[in-house]
Amino acid sequence: MLEHYAWLIPIFHWLAAGWIGVGYILNTNRGEAGERQTSLVALGAATGSFLLALVLALIAVWQGAPGHLILGDWFASGDYHLPISFSLDTIGLSLLLIVTLLVLLTIKFSVNYMHRERGFQRIFMLFCLFAGGMELIVMAGNALLVFVGWEIAGATSYLLIGYAIDRTTATKNAVRAFITNRVGDAGFILGIALSIFWLGSVEWPQIHVQAGKIETLAAGVVAGGFVIAALAKSAQLPFSPWIARALEGPTPSSAIFYGALMVHAGVILLIRLAPLLEQAPVVMISIAILGILTVLYGWLAGLTQSDVKSSLMFATTTQVGWMFFWCGMGWFTLAAWHLGLHAIWRTFQFLASPALVNQIDQATPPPPQWLLRWRLLYRASQQRFWVESLTDALLLRPTVSLARDVQYFDEQVVTRVVGLPAYTRSVSSLTQWETIQKRTAKTQTGAIGQGTGVAGKIMTWLANLLYWFESHLVLQGGGEGLQNNLHRIGALLERVEQLLTEPRYMIVLVVVTFVVIL
Amino acid sequence: MPSLSYLLLAPFVGAFAITFLPREAKWAIRSTALLASLITFALSWAYITDFDLTQPGLQFVHHTEWNTRLGTSFTLGLDGFSYPMVLLATLLSFVALLASSVIKERVKGYYILVLLLESGMLGVFMAQDWSLFYVFWELTLIPLFFLIDRWGGKNRHGAALNFVLYTMGGSVFMLISLLVLFDAVPGHTFSMTAMAESGRTLPQHTQILIFLGLLVGFGVKMPIFPLHGWLPLAHVEAPSPISILLSGILLKMGSYGLIRAAGMLPDAVLALQDILAALAFVSIIYGGLLAWRHSDLKAMIAYSSVSHMGVVLLGIAALNLAGLHGALMQMVAHGLVAGSLFLLIGLLYERTHTRDVMDYSSLVRVMPRFAFFTTLAFIAAVSLPGTAGFVAELNVLIGGFARWSWVAALLTVGVLLSAAYAIRTISQLFTGPVRPGMHDVEDLRPGELIAAGTLTAGTLLLGFMPSPVLNLVNASATQLSNLFAL
Repeated sequence: MLEHYAWLIPIFHWLAAGWIGVGYILNTNRGEAGERQTSLVALGAATGSFLLALVLALIAVWQGAPGHLILGDWFASGDYHLPISFSLDTIGLSLLLIVTLLVLLTIKFSVNYMHRERGFQRIFMLFCLFAGGMELIVMAGNALLVFVGWEIAGATSYLLIGYAIDRTTATKNAVRAFITNRVGDAGFILGIALSIFWLGSVEWPQIHVQAGKIETLAAGVVAGGFVIAALAKSAQLPFSPWIARALEGPTPSSAIFYGALMVHAGVILLIRLAPLLEQAPVVMISIAILGILTVLYGWLAGLTQSDVKSSLMFATTTQVGWMFFWCGMGWFTLAAWHLGLHAIWRTFQFLASPALVNQIDQATPPPPQWLLRWRLLYRASQQRFWVESLTDALLLRPTVSLARDVQYFDEQVVTRVVGLPAYTRSVSSLTQWETIQKRTAKTQTGAIGQGTGVAGKIMTWLANLLYWFESHLVLQGGGEGLQNNLHRIGALLERVEQLLTEPRYMIVLVVVTFVVIL
Repeated sequence: MPSLSYLLLAPFVGAFAITFLPREAKWAIRSTALLASLITFALSWAYITDFDLTQPGLQFVHHTEWNTRLGTSFTLGLDGFSYPMVLLATLLSFVALLASSVIKERVKGYYILVLLLESGMLGVFMAQDWSLFYVFWELTLIPLFFLIDRWGGKNRHGAALNFVLYTMGGSVFMLISLLVLFDAVPGHTFSMTAMAESGRTLPQHTQILIFLGLLVGFGVKMPIFPLHGWLPLAHVEAPSPISILLSGILLKMGSYGLIRAAGMLPDAVLALQDILAALAFVSIIYGGLLAWRHSDLKAMIAYSSVSHMGVVLLGIAALNLAGLHGALMQMVAHGLVAGSLFLLIGLLYERTHTRDVMDYSSLVRVMPRFAFFTTLAFIAAVSLPGTAGFVAELNVLIGGFARWSWVAALLTVGVLLSAAYAIRTISQLFTGPVRPGMHDVEDLRPGELIAAGTLTAGTLLLGFMPSPVLNLVNASATQLSNLFAL
């Protein structure tokens, strides 16, 4: 019975996030005084989620896991409907337990670590949002709900990486991480759309059942979409660079969230899709190859890192690469075990890393001798195999120059034709504001009912025409005109009435009546 | 389960109680009115648990014979079309009363009239006998006439007279049609169900003639394009709480009647389907363009109502399940959105005494809460995803597409137009350099916050979870759309 309340697990976190956010707007928890309240709410939510997950897991040990649960329709239209469903099978429950526990510990850790930091409330709100998203990824019963969690986790990790909003590198790296993840999202959406078209559903059990009935090629295309998403989220080649960049996050605590938890989301997705992947051998082989390449990349690049967070991050990439390799070989259970153990271990390491810097008093160990002998490899390792420059050269630069051309076309042609305003009313610079103050420049207010550009001109002309029609025919003709006519008829009738009351017409009328009767 | 007549009686009793209060006791009058409307609101929700979602017909029927020789009866009942409207009416009446603190003089008469108006509106939606329907239909006119004529703006006398003349003119056509129909059906009864059953058997040209009369009557109220002359005047001149009721509920009476008429005269509607759709498109674009052209905020919202009700007409004209779902959803959505827009603009007018959008600037600095709710309301008026309007327009688009394929895409022109005037208004109200006159405008007070918050929350809630409304409508809409299944 209790499993029907599983949806409360992410909701607890989101309620806490909402509470913190609203409190911040209403000015009830700002500053140092509000830290206690903020941390209590976040901790309370995390404890609640963890206890609920624990109870669910214990019940599952006792009575067996509840499996796939459909709680109701999210929305339905005609014969097409999207259920809210959860996969509380053994793997879902055990991962859920790990995630909720690590979230609880990390938040607990952050209470002291973040003490007196600027943006304490902001970061706790983001933690809560992220935790809910991550739990949804683990426990959701269909691809669409996973995608919801996936996006929440992605967006909040973007905000966490860009936590130091006044540091350019932080915001730049946040954007890089975000864009890389968007590439993966495109694959995810493709996977969802194709599952609906070809498999008829996005529920995991249905996908598993239907996977056996479609052609290998179709299965490969569907799986391919999801795999791209998984590769991007888990920082596998060729999407790896974002995770090393993501270290701009303020603390180990946020690094844990995307370094030790979110990085596994891709593996979780692959494990969920196991039956579909098994229908597509080519995809399996690619996963294995990319996984083992990432292992090599992470291992070699990790050897030459000189700071603790980067080393940890490359170690993480390596381990996740192994998990992808296991998945590619079809050993999904092994991947799941590896995932759980690695998440716990890595969280511990991240938490301990700031203290580690103080405890160790010896210099960073030099890279191994054999690597120093291979000059080229050493260089490649230091440059992180130029993956980033390579993707920049192959993707970024062509995109930027294409964007520049398109922007030129947009400014010179589209804006003029459509008549989009090139300016806004808001003051963008101080000088502009000063000129307005001196009244040397008039504010651009744009008269009502005046469009610019071709479309705007047509609209203006049409609106004027209709306005004329409205004011002359509908309002005056129908509205006030109606009253005027009534007045006129009333006056006329009054005249008739007056005439009738005069005796001579009365006599005429009587005479006429008599004539008619006779 | 209380009988439906209590729902009708509750505001009436409130109005009656107010008559005994002294005219100086403003606070007592206001709280009595609020209490009465709150009770009505609570009472209207009491039926939700027992409402059978699978049954398309009438429920909770209250039937008393009135005049057996004429075939009239006092029949009240709820079905999938009327129940959402009843809920909307009780909610908006409460919100309008909350917003009525603007009214400072002749308070007693004002609250009595508003409560009577609420009673009349509920009667229109619950009546299941055409004669009773007509009585309530006309009954709403009397309080409204006085409310506009006595508490309205500068040009109120003209507006009130104009409104009554237009509506009366329309209802004459409606009455003639109803009488012709009464004469044509064998049973000689005004009962809606009986008339609907025999109406369906009439030959097509008779049906068309009768339907045209009803179309004029309901079209004035709704309003459909050439018959909307009363609307801008009345909306602009009416006091703001009454504007909420006018656009929020009174307009829905027209579309509700049209849905009832469509169930009664299916052959006629099917024959006139394309004309109805054309009228709908003209309304959508005409209203949108004029809203864009006007700088008076209230006139702008009034014309946007014409545009939005065009969407309702299009949904009805599609005559399929998606279209009807969309039409009902749009009725609810527009009730909430237009209600909150008129509420907020009314509160702004009360503080600054100008309705010209060009007089405003940079309000976000002095009234952040107002800015928040107004922006949300305008966004909902554009029917962006996540608001109730989106679900409505999507359904109408799907329904329209099934009937007229790509022609239905014209609907998106209306969406573009609404975006044009909504964004323009938001930027004019809230951004730009600070104006000297707009320095110390008071932000929303707690009571106003509750009123605006309720409507906004409703819009967003239905945007994210539209299924409760759609489920409520589903059985009745399925039954109606089956009449037109090709």
